[in-house]
Amino acid sequence: MDEETIRRFEEILKAREFYVVGKKVARVDALDAILGRPIYTSDLLSDRVLWVRAVRSPHPHALIRSIDSSATRAVRGVVDVITHREIPGVNDAGSLTSDRPLLAVDRVRHYGEAVALVVGEDEVAVDEGVAAFRVEYDPLPAVFDPVEALKPEAPKIQEEGNLINHVKIRKGNVEEGFASSDVVIRNEFRTPFMDGMPMEIEVAYAYLEPDGTLTCIASMQNPFDVYNKVVRILRLPPERVRVVQAATGGGFGPKSDESPIDVAAYAALAAYRNRRPVIATFTREEAMAVQTKRHSFRIVNETGATSDGRLLAWRSTLYLTNGPYYSKGHLVIQRATFHCTGPYEVPNVWADGYAVLTNNTLAGSTRGFGAPEAHFAAEVQMDILAKKLGMDPLELRLKNVLRPGSLTATSQRIDDNGLVMCVEAAARLSRWSERRQECERFNRLNGRYRRGIGIALLYHGNTLGPEGEDFAVVHLSVDQSGKVRLQTGLTEYGTGALTSLAILVAEVLGIDVRDVELLRPDTRAVRNSGPTVASRTTVIGGRAALDAARKLRSILDPLAAEALGCRTDELVYKDGKVMVAGDTTRSIAFRELVRRAIGMGLDLRVEGYYKAPETKWDRETGQGAPYNQYTFGALVSEVEVDTLTGMVRVLRMTAVYDVGKAINPLGLRAVIEGGSIMGMGHALFEEFVHVDGVPVTLGFQGYSIPASSEAPLEIVQQVVESEGKIGALGAKAMGEIPVVLPMASIANAVAHAIGYHIKETPLKPSRVLEALEELGIAYRP
Amino acid sequence: MVNLKVNGRPYTLDVAENERLVDVIRYRLGFMGAKEGCGEGYCGLCIVLMNGRPVHSCLVPAWRADGAEIITVEGIGSESSLHPVQRAFVDEGAVQCGFCIPAAVLIGKWMLDKGLAKDRETIRWAYKGLLCRCGSYIRFEESVLRAARGD
Repeated sequence: MDEETIRRFEEILKAREFYVVGKKVARVDALDAILGRPIYTSDLLSDRVLWVRAVRSPHPHALIRSIDSSATRAVRGVVDVITHREIPGVNDAGSLTSDRPLLAVDRVRHYGEAVALVVGEDEVAVDEGVAAFRVEYDPLPAVFDPVEALKPEAPKIQEEGNLINHVKIRKGNVEEGFASSDVVIRNEFRTPFMDGMPMEIEVAYAYLEPDGTLTCIASMQNPFDVYNKVVRILRLPPERVRVVQAATGGGFGPKSDESPIDVAAYAALAAYRNRRPVIATFTREEAMAVQTKRHSFRIVNETGATSDGRLLAWRSTLYLTNGPYYSKGHLVIQRATFHCTGPYEVPNVWADGYAVLTNNTLAGSTRGFGAPEAHFAAEVQMDILAKKLGMDPLELRLKNVLRPGSLTATSQRIDDNGLVMCVEAAARLSRWSERRQECERFNRLNGRYRRGIGIALLYHGNTLGPEGEDFAVVHLSVDQSGKVRLQTGLTEYGTGALTSLAILVAEVLGIDVRDVELLRPDTRAVRNSGPTVASRTTVIGGRAALDAARKLRSILDPLAAEALGCRTDELVYKDGKVMVAGDTTRSIAFRELVRRAIGMGLDLRVEGYYKAPETKWDRETGQGAPYNQYTFGALVSEVEVDTLTGMVRVLRMTAVYDVGKAINPLGLRAVIEGGSIMGMGHALFEEFVHVDGVPVTLGFQGYSIPASSEAPLEIVQQVVESEGKIGALGAKAMGEIPVVLPMASIANAVAHAIGYHIKETPLKPSRVLEALEELGIAYRP
Repeated sequence: MVNLKVNGRPYTLDVAENERLVDVIRYRLGFMGAKEGCGEGYCGLCIVLMNGRPVHSCLVPAWRADGAEIITVEGIGSESSLHPVQRAFVDEGAVQCGFCIPAAVLIGKWMLDKGLAKDRETIRWAYKGLLCRCGSYIRFEESVLRAARGD
């Protein structure tokens, strides 16, 4: 590509005025959605499709003494039974670490672990086949608590032991920091397992093409993770396997993790062995038992400060309760530990984060990836400190927030002013001081209801950073009609991030977003683009989309310049036309330009690529720069507590996020609202309970997620823009971020209402009522 | 034998006693807009309009639909003539993962038809039977209000 194109392109990037970026444009896939047209995997079901269902362990930890499938094989409609012996390739379904078999060999390590697969003509046949399957188990001692699991006498769940990662932060001299502090507080915080609970249950459809290719269409975030495992498990030549992402009804992390590999491998194995199309899915209860949950955390924070509220020392000990297999637990603890102080500058920090295997069900990637739990513990701690110091919580925060020049807990220098912008906007929009006083006046009436307002702030290390290779590939092609087709291995599963890529392409090519068509992610058509996780599609994928669009421009520019009799640096792409800067009478339609290019035999298929700089930090001290840039945010919540029932209702939220550059404002609004509501569920009632490793909150009757009636009546929101270092046009990560703060913000609001900080989530009625009774303010009619 | 009308077209079908309306609509008639998320009447993804009212079609035995008129998302608008609620969903950016959208659109249509789309409080209670994990509830409310205003 010539220097000139790149230079002009950089000018476009710096342009103050965008034609498409930042405008309220509808999602490119919205029309299909409201007409009911997207094809989700289960829409492929028909009479000729076989079903497959797993025989699952009822024990959290046991040896398999024997299995007997004879009764199953006799069930009418059962056509095949698959155990680990029938796996042609490697029995490895672990998403990142090869520690998890697809089908258990001689031992099960959690409730619901798959032992065998039953394939049959319909759902009734496989259900009966599973019920008839006999497995004899010898239960083994099991461990469910992370602290117990670290003791030498604890049952060893994996050969290497139960501790899978110990993340350290050693900054300054924490002992000296505490010694110089006027006030030191220490609190323990706990959060439970939770379920990401995408509305669409994991599902995969596999069939053999006439040429022998095994095609698998499935609901998932990461087609290449699934592809690589299917190739390995079936031991097929890589070119004989094809994985396509169907429309996907929600991801939230679990669909980037273990369970999409399972259903895809089940369907692929059964289709390959039986030479018929197969659908593999779960019941809702089964999905909840086997999909990776949000980890349960236990966090002890000890904080020292001067009497005027300057933070001097912070010590955190974090225990992450994992399931019996790695999944993403070793990475989640890393993100949680790096963010353990909240978005504050503390000169002396000592932190130890432990990720520990247990015999609970699987836990792994879930929206926020450890940040919601770390921020809950840090931000409630800050509130308790403010109370102890007799300071306004906002004032204490402003005294310590990360500003330009501040050093984070890992001593990474912050360059932008995003956080201060967020805090100031949130305080203004929520009328913080005024509303705080109004709540206090209201509470002096000592009625049945009490009100409170609370705040929490965040920083969120962007994209993968230390969690993996942070790259993306975006393919563009243009046809005779001037339509641009965008295809990538990055997937859409709800946030609208692929529309952001379409917006960026439309901006550079000067066309309508509706003229950019998204093609389905297909491992046969695109190169691996890394996982669609860590809120990285707009930030990293956006850079690849810009690169692809720029490559198209480098092909089209010389033609346009020739047609218009100008230099290439005078070209303006806008409104479906290419014009000469300063002379709008001279123009050529984009479509015409494309036709000419194709007529000349030019290939209008390009591949854009971007890879973020590698991040570095020291494993022994945790010091360094683990992330390339940070998103900042502030969330104010107003609540009403019913002191008769302990019910908490969120009345209003004020959410302000530094998004770097708002590329897709309609998408942002929906994600900020939706993430706030999801986080409200985490704060108030979501809790996935195991009793001795056996889940007891399966199904919607056991595990509540927010319904419309529970959503706050109003979510006031604003975005501020403090340009990020690496993101497309300065964009920062936003997909997961709105779910990070509600737990902390709502807990602080409840504390303002009742005068006491509850340190364990969810703030369910029984827990709140217990606090109210202890405080002597429970309402007695 | 069951006679029912789906999206204006009559069908006569032999149905088993335990066959569910959702399966008839999806797999025998091919209207895939109705989804399934639990099969127990909690999530609401399978909501269709039966004789003008939203029902969880996973809980309705197919024989109960004898003589009924069923409307699915496929039956209320087309690309060239969107239903006002569909238009509003696009303009408000209400679509996230899209899985509950067919049901959400139908609830909105029902509210408009019955003159219930007056205020947010009423609309949010109408959506109580539908779970949206993306949390688009406020967008649904704004969409229905927008459609009712005729924007």
